[in-house]
Amino acid sequence: MTPETTSRPRLSAGCRWAEANGAERVLLFPEGAIRFEGTGREILERCDGQRTVEQIIEELQQKYSAGDPARIEEDVRNFLGQLQQKRIIDF
Amino acid sequence: MVSAPLALIAELTHRCPLHCVYCSNPLAMQSAASELSTAQWTRVFEQAGRAGSLHVHLTGGEPLARSDLVELTARARSAGLYVNLITSGIGLSEKRLTALTEAGLEHVQLSFQGVREELADEIAGARSHRHKLALSRLIRQFKLAFTMNMVVHRQNLDQLSAILAMAEELAPDRLEIANVQYYGWALRNRDALMPTRQQIEQSQATVRAAQERLAGRMRIDYVAPDYYGRYPKACMGGWGRRLMLIDPAGQALPCHAAAVIPGLTFDNVREHSLEWIWQQSPAFQAFRGEAWMPQPCRSCDRRSEDFGGCRCQAWLLTGDARATDPVCSLSPEHSLVAKIVAHANDDRVSKKFEPVSLPTAWVYRPNPH
Repeated sequence: MTPETTSRPRLSAGCRWAEANGAERVLLFPEGAIRFEGTGREILERCDGQRTVEQIIEELQQKYSAGDPARIEEDVRNFLGQLQQKRIIDF
Repeated sequence: MVSAPLALIAELTHRCPLHCVYCSNPLAMQSAASELSTAQWTRVFEQAGRAGSLHVHLTGGEPLARSDLVELTARARSAGLYVNLITSGIGLSEKRLTALTEAGLEHVQLSFQGVREELADEIAGARSHRHKLALSRLIRQFKLAFTMNMVVHRQNLDQLSAILAMAEELAPDRLEIANVQYYGWALRNRDALMPTRQQIEQSQATVRAAQERLAGRMRIDYVAPDYYGRYPKACMGGWGRRLMLIDPAGQALPCHAAAVIPGLTFDNVREHSLEWIWQQSPAFQAFRGEAWMPQPCRSCDRRSEDFGGCRCQAWLLTGDARATDPVCSLSPEHSLVAKIVAHANDDRVSKKFEPVSLPTAWVYRPNPH
């Protein structure tokens, strides 16, 4: 399931960041933890319940202006879809 | 080797209002009088947090039996740990759940023994099913992650579709369908709990269909019984690799069953630091690395995946804690397990344990003194 452009993804109940530790950051959720870094971290950190999916895509496209915007959009959507499947974010 | 356990399993007490016939607590339980105090648990949490552990699982027995649970939750959270509560729900009111949430509780895993009230209560040895249903609805009103843990076995696997329907209605974030593992009280009741091959195959198909149907809404995890597997489970992610359990009296163990293994001295958090126990104590070193492995494990391609399986199970079934876990098809003693599985699939045995022919001669888990 990929998100609607206007939805505002946010961390699911019981999911939160641990203390930042340099380049990588750990997301805690029931009985587990995942390390995020690079673009994955940048996407997930923007899932704050305020930004829409569209805004998140735009921000990443601006930040990585040398990249292919269509590709960035696809990657962001897929990534968000995967996070939702794991119940890490809600749309 | 990691410098600290990723997760701490805090077995706060062995007291429990239920008497589940599949309970994995040790047969030799710790008495109420021997339990660590609030201050002692606080020191444990602080050490774990400083060392870099991420999670604590508050469990037991029944963690709600501890009157200081709200304070323990607050201390664990302020020590930097993510707090999971593993509970039967007995002793949890709205007021108490509010206090726990405010103290920093983040995830509740609620156990279920079935979908039919009479059978569920029989398995639990107490009237509890109805309360769990009400509790599920209450938990959903809180900003908590909610996992339903449904323990399955021979007596309730045929009701899996109804179980899934119930779970769908109660809407946890995650449903764990956990086949019984045979330690503690479950081992005593194994004959009545071991499923048939047909039950396993049917349940896997049912779960797969439900996983697809509910994808994105509810995550469903299925734990198959390792007696039916070809290879063993990577028990606890390996001995002393990811997890440390502290029992109610402060004994530090690599898992809930390890105290059955003779010849190992498990150290106590009253006397030693968590860090020393984890990194240096002989008991935690006993089955790390590969030097301890016998053949076929020592030269097996899977040895860094499953570590030769479960040490406790090897001890319980073969009498040798170093042996290949006999559930492994490559174990020289695999016939032990094959025999148990054959017995479970014997048509003559099946009829004896039909759920309708109550009562079954269960061995119930008592409360420690």
